[in-house]
Amino acid sequence: MHSTEIHTYLHRFFKENDCEILHGNEHYLTVQLTIDMDKRIMNRPFYWRYIESVNETPNPAQLTLITDMQQLHNGMKGEIIHLGSPRLHQLFQVTKEMGQFVKMYEHIEDTSEQLILTPWVGVNYKVSFTSHQTKEMLYSVGINLMTGAVVKEFQETISMLDLSDQSSEQVFHLPYIITPVRALDRLDAVITQVIEGEDLTWVEEAEKRWRKDQAVLDYFYEGQEPKPECYEMEKQAMEERFKPRISVDVVNGGLFYLK
Amino acid sequence: MLIERSSSWKEGFIQRLENHEPWNNSVLYNLSYTIAENNLITNFTGLQSLAYLPNIKPLPHQIEAAERVIEQMNGKAILADEVGLGKTIEAGLIIKEYLLRGLVKKVLILVPASLVNQWVEELYTKFHIPALLYKKNYELDYVDVVVMSMDTAKRSPHKEKIYAQDYDLIIVDEAHKLKNHQTISYEFVQSLKKKFCLLLTATPIQNDTFELFYLVTLLKQGHLGNYDEFSSVFSAKNRDEERDSYLKELVSQVMVRNRRQDTGVEWSTRKVHTIPITFTDHERQVYTAISNLKHISSVFSGAFSTMTLQREMCSSPEATIGTLRNLLPECKQVEEITHVEEVIGQLEKLSIHSKAKKATELIIQANEKVIIFTEYRMTQLYLSDYLYANGISNVIFNGKLSKSSREWIKHLFKQQAQVLIATESGAEGINLQFCHHVINYDLPWNPMKLEQRIGRVHRLGQEHDVQIYNLAVKETIDDHVMKVLQGKIETFEQVVGELDDILEMKERSV
Repeated sequence: MHSTEIHTYLHRFFKENDCEILHGNEHYLTVQLTIDMDKRIMNRPFYWRYIESVNETPNPAQLTLITDMQQLHNGMKGEIIHLGSPRLHQLFQVTKEMGQFVKMYEHIEDTSEQLILTPWVGVNYKVSFTSHQTKEMLYSVGINLMTGAVVKEFQETISMLDLSDQSSEQVFHLPYIITPVRALDRLDAVITQVIEGEDLTWVEEAEKRWRKDQAVLDYFYEGQEPKPECYEMEKQAMEERFKPRISVDVVNGGLFYLK
Repeated sequence: MLIERSSSWKEGFIQRLENHEPWNNSVLYNLSYTIAENNLITNFTGLQSLAYLPNIKPLPHQIEAAERVIEQMNGKAILADEVGLGKTIEAGLIIKEYLLRGLVKKVLILVPASLVNQWVEELYTKFHIPALLYKKNYELDYVDVVVMSMDTAKRSPHKEKIYAQDYDLIIVDEAHKLKNHQTISYEFVQSLKKKFCLLLTATPIQNDTFELFYLVTLLKQGHLGNYDEFSSVFSAKNRDEERDSYLKELVSQVMVRNRRQDTGVEWSTRKVHTIPITFTDHERQVYTAISNLKHISSVFSGAFSTMTLQREMCSSPEATIGTLRNLLPECKQVEEITHVEEVIGQLEKLSIHSKAKKATELIIQANEKVIIFTEYRMTQLYLSDYLYANGISNVIFNGKLSKSSREWIKHLFKQQAQVLIATESGAEGINLQFCHHVINYDLPWNPMKLEQRIGRVHRLGQEHDVQIYNLAVKETIDDHVMKVLQGKIETFEQVVGELDDILEMKERSV
């Protein structure tokens, strides 16, 4: 993410969260937080507890976020925001929490005839492959709740459609045949299949290294019975270091009514 | 293989379907996906962290070191770059990478008390890692990255608090302090679980190869075999080239060592000068008298006390007098006492030490900022007075200074004083690139201490050639120290790799 992308992101993030942007240009912005946003990101629970207990007028903070470091030299005061900055990381986290579940409808131009929209469940999965190293993959999959058909790159597909939070009028939403719970189980199975098709040489590599280190350790304590505590501890550390693991997280997902 | 899944999203989704909670904003939904896409770790290898660190530009050797530690050494390594090449940067890169990849959550950083603040500050400003400076009574449950002084950490109740945590990454700075496996520090580090572990030291061997054995064993038990095997194969007596290169190979599997010349950075060079000094007749007389004290009294019969006195005599009369005065109460017989007092009397008459005189000449000749290192506090004071008397401004730096006074003295040296007179304990961790003359007024027994001293000025950012003056009084204990130093440097080079010039070596084996 370049600084311009970050800047665009910040703008959209605060706008969508109803935080007024007081002033700014392409290098910085000063934003008035809402009470809710202040509670989420300013990390001052005692202030809020106090204000609420004495019924005082709350005074949510203003933030100046600078995306171009050059501006600092011009004497501007504020937080520098870049890809590694804790603040941005925090906003990413808030974005994730606040954008987990959606229900969206494909927009229909006004027509005289009645149109039918089909329900889909779409989920964005993040799969992590972890041993002494890591790799992650994103899979976006969707399932048609009428037919059970599964499509990949679901997010990419819907991002080209005109979707909205509100249903258009004169539109009939088909009641689903496959329940969302069943659909999610089906998608889980799809992801499992995808994972099984991935290159698993990293597992072999990790296990090879693990065995090698274990052999060195065993050799060091050869003939010692019972093994001392530090042997067990090192063995444990080795397992934590090398044991191959695969985990699946959901970034977000939702219910979609599509043409 | 088992696939781990969390069900929390699924539950939240079902709840919303049943109208228990409102749906989220669709713009944030799309933003969230974009973020996930952007921050995805798409490769097992390579440093992802560089994109997150706009405040630093790591040098190629630092990036390579971090990659090697993570990818080939499985996150367990001795970082042994020469002083001043940025071991902290390498460690920072490794921590950041592991945090980013989610392989490490909790980090414990053990450092000498004098470097605690520096670590916290560097981690924050350079790597955006909020590390906590540990103080008494702090709870460690909610702190992910903590910096602690080794002296605190190894003691109760702090060590119990550490044992109660589950650290993923342990870092020990100035790890050569762990060379002795019988110390509390060693045992403490040994008893910590080391999923990932970095030991930082510019000087993995100070005296003999066993130090390296213990350091490597601390990191990875069994890597160099057990003690008996190691000592039978690699002890100094039956070493040969083949075994040395085998040992070197084993060591290089767990150790990263960059030398200045490997870094691709244009380094200024070192010019090492050995400055021989001749005692005046009077000084020689006193030196002989001191050497003969062992015949006069049993108090001085131990080889150690004679050697100490001789070394002090090669440094300053004040240092010698100090030790003699300390030993005087142990003398019981009247003849002994009078004899020692007589020697003290002779010492007091020596107003100018030949070495101090020579050092002053060198400073005047340099006509620039100079650091003088001495082994003795008394010599430090003596030199300070002597230099002032000769119109040379100077400040004193030693291990007893607090953190803020250190900064102040460093500032004074940079801005005003021509000379900084430092003792060993003061040398650690201060960076003085603005100076390029080092006088080793006394030589330590250990070549790595010399390297640490020189490393204060010969580090990244030094623009001039560094002039090093090693002072040694002819036909005294100084000669012997020189010889020992040379022997140790050879041991180091055979096992670890070459060293940058410390001593002036005429017949260096290639």
